[in-house]
Amino acid sequence: MNDERLKYGGKIIYMEGVIVAVDDCSISIDLKGRLGFFKAPKRMFICDTEPKVGQEVGFNMSFPEQLGPEINEKYVSNIEKERRKQDEMRKRLDNKEV
Amino acid sequence: MSITAETAKAHAHDPAVLCCRAEGGITIEPANLEDPAIFDDLVDSGLLNLDGCLTIEEVLGAKLAKTCDSLCPLTADVVEGAKAPSVPAKEAPAEEAPAPAEVPAAPAMAPAPAAGGMLRIHIGEGKDIDLQIPVGALGAGGAEVAAVPVAGAAAPAAAAAPAEEVKEEKVVRTLTRKHFKITEVKRGPETKIEGTTLTIREGIEAEVIADQELVKDFHLEIITPDLYHTYSETIMDVQPIATKEGEDDIGCGVTRVLDGVVMMLTGVDEGGVQIGEFGSSEGYLDENIMWGRPGCPDKGEIFIKGNIVVQEKTNMERRGPMAAHTAFDIITQEIREVIKKLDDSLVAETQELKQVRRPGKKKVVIVKEIMGQGAMHDNFILPVEPVGVLGARANVDLGNVPVCVSPLEVLDGCIHALTCIGPASKEMSRHYWREPLVLEALHDEEIDLCGVVFVGSPQINAEKFYVSKRVGHTVEMMDADGAFVTTEGFGNNHIDFASHIEQIGMRGIPVVGMSYCAVQGALVVGNKYMQYMVDNNKSESGIENEVLGCNTLCPEDAVRALAMLKTAMAGEAVKAAERKWNPNVKSTNVELIEAAYDRKIELEKNEQSLPMSQKRKEKYD
Repeated sequence: MNDERLKYGGKIIYMEGVIVAVDDCSISIDLKGRLGFFKAPKRMFICDTEPKVGQEVGFNMSFPEQLGPEINEKYVSNIEKERRKQDEMRKRLDNKEV
Repeated sequence: MSITAETAKAHAHDPAVLCCRAEGGITIEPANLEDPAIFDDLVDSGLLNLDGCLTIEEVLGAKLAKTCDSLCPLTADVVEGAKAPSVPAKEAPAEEAPAPAEVPAAPAMAPAPAAGGMLRIHIGEGKDIDLQIPVGALGAGGAEVAAVPVAGAAAPAAAAAPAEEVKEEKVVRTLTRKHFKITEVKRGPETKIEGTTLTIREGIEAEVIADQELVKDFHLEIITPDLYHTYSETIMDVQPIATKEGEDDIGCGVTRVLDGVVMMLTGVDEGGVQIGEFGSSEGYLDENIMWGRPGCPDKGEIFIKGNIVVQEKTNMERRGPMAAHTAFDIITQEIREVIKKLDDSLVAETQELKQVRRPGKKKVVIVKEIMGQGAMHDNFILPVEPVGVLGARANVDLGNVPVCVSPLEVLDGCIHALTCIGPASKEMSRHYWREPLVLEALHDEEIDLCGVVFVGSPQINAEKFYVSKRVGHTVEMMDADGAFVTTEGFGNNHIDFASHIEQIGMRGIPVVGMSYCAVQGALVVGNKYMQYMVDNNKSESGIENEVLGCNTLCPEDAVRALAMLKTAMAGEAVKAAERKWNPNVKSTNVELIEAAYDRKIELEKNEQSLPMSQKRKEKYD
């Protein structure tokens, strides 16, 4: 189990954020206090009413902790492939629009 | 907090600990004792030591020898006249519920009743006082595991059974599957099947693109086993290629299906962003597919893989993935038209599926919760063709309300899955085609499977409870003796999953819940009816491992769930699971079932059997 690899995993902090974008399958949240931003699947978000931009949310979290200095080449290559593909497709899209 | 006589009875063999300070000389009553449900937390955090502690059954009615403080474990030296312990009634072939059903709070947040363990509230005078106390701190934690409602329900059912035992099995309807073998797929001037070779028309891509305004580009690839080590975008769906004969409806008559080949849909938007939610199975196919899972391709099959490009930024909108699925069906439909014309001499195998009702046996219903939060968390229900699009209704449009189908409709592709939840726990269209729980329950001669209920999981809580109440009434009017509730994926769908179980359980019907839980999918809510839980996890570390289909419901889970439901319906006890996920619970259960039913249960392989991808090696194992 990976949680044993965390040195500070036990420190759980109550956080708040503001919904800044909602689409059909995700919500985006700005953490209050300029502490960052995250986007999560709607299915991981619990709400009593329909989520809307401007609503406040609360959650417990901790600090992300580096698990080690190693770089996972597989992920690097996936990211690289993804970036190249996106560049290519974007160029095509731009040409079409011209 | 003190306990009631009822709770004391349920926990007769659990440790006896004082809930509050008690004077020496009193007779120990349930009201003096603490609820054993909170002990795990206290022991974990070192606040309680249960060594040498007597059980509740032993101390009730005995005399307390000296004054003790709250949370004092009652050992032999402080109790006078303790009774002899009876043999715990746990010898029955009881299964253990692997999912920590009733632990709402993270284990790390142990309650801290450190100062004497006493909650003392004194209000001299006042009005409009709201006291909010974390449930975990009081230890109630929703953990009232009372066997009472279940025993009550099972008894009348058992009593009624013998009288009706004589009734005969009834075949309600049959479904014939004609299998056609395909060994080669190639491109050619027209779509046709000759012998075992499927040819797909060149240029069909243009029609796929033209079909939907949102579809901007499309590529078709044929992946044969030697090309399995190919990089692929995240997989949106895996579908069987099947069609109905003549005017037959889904779920009856004759279905023709191609063996050895599956449809596989992948997609991105014009900006190159994956259609799909967040978890993705992009990478090399052979490292990211759990072969042989009900919803996945089998090793050796050929994939007709279509990669669809949808209009920019519609990847996260409902219409994007819907357009992708609808357009891709153009190709499947063209193949279906060809299959319809095939000569019967090409049939490699004929299989007959019977929907059997067994009056007099315990009536069981399967409730399958499917995603309905919107966008790709959606499903097309009951298309005209197996896993087709035409004629189907999206369950989000239906308001996610329960839809009752026959087991054969499930196995005949009545669900076209659009769900793009985490790849490891995703139930793809093919999953329903080979749904293990439906198959297992249908073939089990000891029960009477009356039907399958699909219910969507909406986004907002109000709607979740709206649909789960409908589920409760639906099951109630079926007069079912037992029910399964299954769900795919994890997240807020566990709220309605728990609510479905509650709604059915409160009507006195034992319910077995099935979901991927383990470590990452640990349930966020629980209730007292969630006593019978089966975890679909297969991954080594209990996590969402990004391997397609790894943690979905498999035959081994179906066998365990059935054994557990039978145990519950018979009124026998099922032991509570440990608080933390422990994979050994599952292996013990499997051994128990193997011994009781004298059958060997083949356990599915997990991601450890795949070529080790660097991603997994470094990240997970």
